[in-house]
Amino acid sequence: MSFKLFRVVALLGIALFATNYVASQAPVVTAPKTAAESRNINEWLMRMHEASRNRSYVGTFVVSSGGVMSSARIWHVCDGSQQIEKVETLTGAPRTIYRHNEKVTTFLPDQKVVRTERRESLGLFPQLLKSTDSHIADFYTSRQEGSERVAGVEADIVALVPRDALRFGYRVWAEQKKGMVVKLQTLDADGRVLEQAAFSELQLDAPVKLDKLAQMMSQIDGYKVEKPDLVKTTASAEGWVLKTPVPGFQPMSCHKRPLAGRPGSDPMQWVFSDGLASVSIFVEPYDNRRHLKESRMSLGATQSLTRRLDAWWLTVLGEVPMATLGLFADGLERKK
Amino acid sequence: MDAMTPTTQHLELISALADGQLAGEDFAQALAICEADVQAMESWDAWHLIGDVLRSPDLTAHAADTRFVARLRSRLSEETALAVSPVAPVPVMPAEESSLTGLATGQVEAANDAIFPWKLVAGFASVAAVAAIAWNAGNSLLAPPAAPQLARAEPVAQQVLVVSEQGTIVRDARMQELLAAHKQFGGTSALQVPSGFLRNATFESSQGERR
Repeated sequence: MSFKLFRVVALLGIALFATNYVASQAPVVTAPKTAAESRNINEWLMRMHEASRNRSYVGTFVVSSGGVMSSARIWHVCDGSQQIEKVETLTGAPRTIYRHNEKVTTFLPDQKVVRTERRESLGLFPQLLKSTDSHIADFYTSRQEGSERVAGVEADIVALVPRDALRFGYRVWAEQKKGMVVKLQTLDADGRVLEQAAFSELQLDAPVKLDKLAQMMSQIDGYKVEKPDLVKTTASAEGWVLKTPVPGFQPMSCHKRPLAGRPGSDPMQWVFSDGLASVSIFVEPYDNRRHLKESRMSLGATQSLTRRLDAWWLTVLGEVPMATLGLFADGLERKK
Repeated sequence: MDAMTPTTQHLELISALADGQLAGEDFAQALAICEADVQAMESWDAWHLIGDVLRSPDLTAHAADTRFVARLRSRLSEETALAVSPVAPVPVMPAEESSLTGLATGQVEAANDAIFPWKLVAGFASVAAVAAIAWNAGNSLLAPPAAPQLARAEPVAQQVLVVSEQGTIVRDARMQELLAAHKQFGGTSALQVPSGFLRNATFESSQGERR
């Protein structure tokens, strides 16, 4: 089944590459024809971001990555200031994930465990997009590629094309009325689809009750509550420096998180982003029992690389080409 | 002309044989002729071909290769000998076969699918093969088919290789933890709110705690 899927994706990839190629040969249209065509990349991203506000919907979301298909049922409700989302997984282990603005609560019914955490990154980008020092446009361009129907709605297809080989490209299907993202593909340099996520079915403006979801989210009776133990830090304080920065990628956050059952080996996680793609550098003490072999792995759009650096073990992970991870690994240095 | 006479007689005999008119000594003689006279045999085939075509045009694909037919016949006779003798093991055979069929159709892929998200990795292919065997051994609990299973599991691993573009690696549970950490705290993207969160939430639960 996975191989079949791969063939389908590969075929799709070839088709997309062909259209990409044709599009790249076409002269750049400077005179804007419609509002949709004249939007620049920041405007597109802002529109997509805003579209999830003031909108309620129910749908089925499917992610296909590296031959693995996952799906979930989604409830989304927003009253302008508050956003609540419920994600109930349909594949893999049963999970119900609630997101109330930046607060994320994950129910693991089979383990009777509920995890609560705050994801700061969720609130980060609207400000970043609005600010004048947004660098996304320096590293990506946008291009409209017609329109298509996805999950029953007409959607504009917008290609987010990287300006260099250090990042992947994206193709986004944004619902025409308000710009809600209904499908998203991650493409490699050859235009092959590495990963795609889409609504297979979508009911816009569905009657979802905010207070009801909020109530369900707080029903944790009988569950053991776990909170990830995150310690904020800086790479510099931990003794690390990225000697050669990777173009476009800026440090976003750095923290240590103790991993269950392995006290003392808590890795530092240093997160970088270019606005669309993110990379995590994990550094932990080298352990010759566990860190046997340096490796490079790939799962759909996510790549990973491990490497020994003297007394430390590096793991670099991100939705970027392998070569970019190599630059991060090469650039990391122990402060003298 | 003298030489033609026996052959003509032969042909008449064969014609009669083809029409089913011979019996007793004539029948035996006709069969003897068929074995000895190549031309007689060709006529036999030709008449049958003519008859077949008259009955149905679909039958024109006539097997005129007598040597092939002969080989087939001898092989068939060997097969019959095999098929007839082992009556007793028949109940055992389906059990083995079903486990193999399961392997060939879905189980190997399913096992692969469910346990190992990092399936695109070249070096991992060997691990996948071993794991697939372990998985199926658990299902069938049959020691003897281990060798065939190995043989079957290998192509599945090669399908993994087809997809692969990266170097070698051994799968690591720790990597899964770090991946989850990356998805949770590092999923920093402008696309995060519209769909990145949904993508991660949908994706990571099926990636995360696996058996």
